[in-house]
Amino acid sequence: KRLALDYYYAPASTPSRGPMMTARALGIELNLKSVDLVKQEQLKPEFLALNHQHTLPTLVDGSFVLWESKAIIGYLVSKYGKDDDALYPREPCKRALVDRLLYFDMSLHQHFRDWAFPAMKQGLPPCPEALVKFQTYLGHLDTHLRLQGTRFVTSDTICVADQTLACATTTYRELGVSMISHPHIVSWLQRCEADMPGYADICLEGANIMAQCFKEILTVK
Amino acid sequence: SLLTARQLDLDINLKHVDLLKSEQFLPAFLAINPEHTVPTIVDGDLALWESRAVSGYFVNKYCKGDWLYPEEAKPRARVDRMLMFDMGTLYIRFTKYVLPVVFKGSKPDPEAKKSLLEALMWFDTFLENSTYSAGSTITIADHSLAASVETIKQSKISIARYRNIKAWLQLCQDNMPGYEENV
Repeated sequence: KRLALDYYYAPASTPSRGPMMTARALGIELNLKSVDLVKQEQLKPEFLALNHQHTLPTLVDGSFVLWESKAIIGYLVSKYGKDDDALYPREPCKRALVDRLLYFDMSLHQHFRDWAFPAMKQGLPPCPEALVKFQTYLGHLDTHLRLQGTRFVTSDTICVADQTLACATTTYRELGVSMISHPHIVSWLQRCEADMPGYADICLEGANIMAQCFKEILTVK
Repeated sequence: SLLTARQLDLDINLKHVDLLKSEQFLPAFLAINPEHTVPTIVDGDLALWESRAVSGYFVNKYCKGDWLYPEEAKPRARVDRMLMFDMGTLYIRFTKYVLPVVFKGSKPDPEAKKSLLEALMWFDTFLENSTYSAGSTITIADHSLAASVETIKQSKISIARYRNIKAWLQLCQDNMPGYEENV
């Protein structure tokens, strides 16, 4: 579907990719507008006028401006999805589990940042202690998948939490983060690669952009 | 999530988990929540954690009408945006400023403080044309944010200069049942 949805994003940004996966699954086309963070384009007056918190991604749907990737995801399904879309079910218990995992994704990525950003942004050596904390969080996801026992994170059907977590964990994997202790994440990612629309050109491609820039910096010598 | 429960007049069976005694690592609790985080609720077969997911669940399951967490796309998106702002920007910047001081005895980091004050400034600006954080009525975003801002205040960070936050916090205090005991 061709709608007038402007999507401001950064290609290397992991949180930017989740809503793109959701849009793809819903069959809607986003008008992609790349914002160069290195050139600080997010601080340009035109962008600040849209979003004075100057974060990415940002969605513009007519006069409605929205940021926070998970709010965008919820909005896309709510507005453009089926009445009770399996991507983000309405039944309270099912929805609660998806929500729990969306918030988990946020914490997981924060732990990734705590480990990776000092190296990526300030040229400091990667901190082993921060890596341990991050790996512990990945362990929580692996445990969840094992206990849940379904093909995807909440059921045998793909939901929006699969989309965001697949983008994140694929990035980590391509950056060289060891998945040796997380066999359930490995096999779930294989299923995502096989079944998730947009995995190759959104998820994996974005992860590779990150890897090209930062894999070497993050490799512990 | 306790504020949401009180707003909905839900009967909650409170079970205190003493983190200083590492009670979150007791086998009985790990069996419920392998991530050993609080708060965690058990409602029949459902075990749920992540406070904002819990608040959403309370409304989705038990609220007659959707006034605390609208069903409609745009108003819901505004609430979601503020829930994410609370978790991913405001509260995280607070923890990065305060936790090293409290747990490692580090000196307060001026950059971390600057970052927190920036988040407060953003929040103050969001409230410029909005009575509550996501519109003209209380939502679960206000429950979440009120708890965060009160915690920030407790660590001696003044919100006096944030006119809109001050006014909003007073509204929360006046309109949220159980405010004093839960924040």
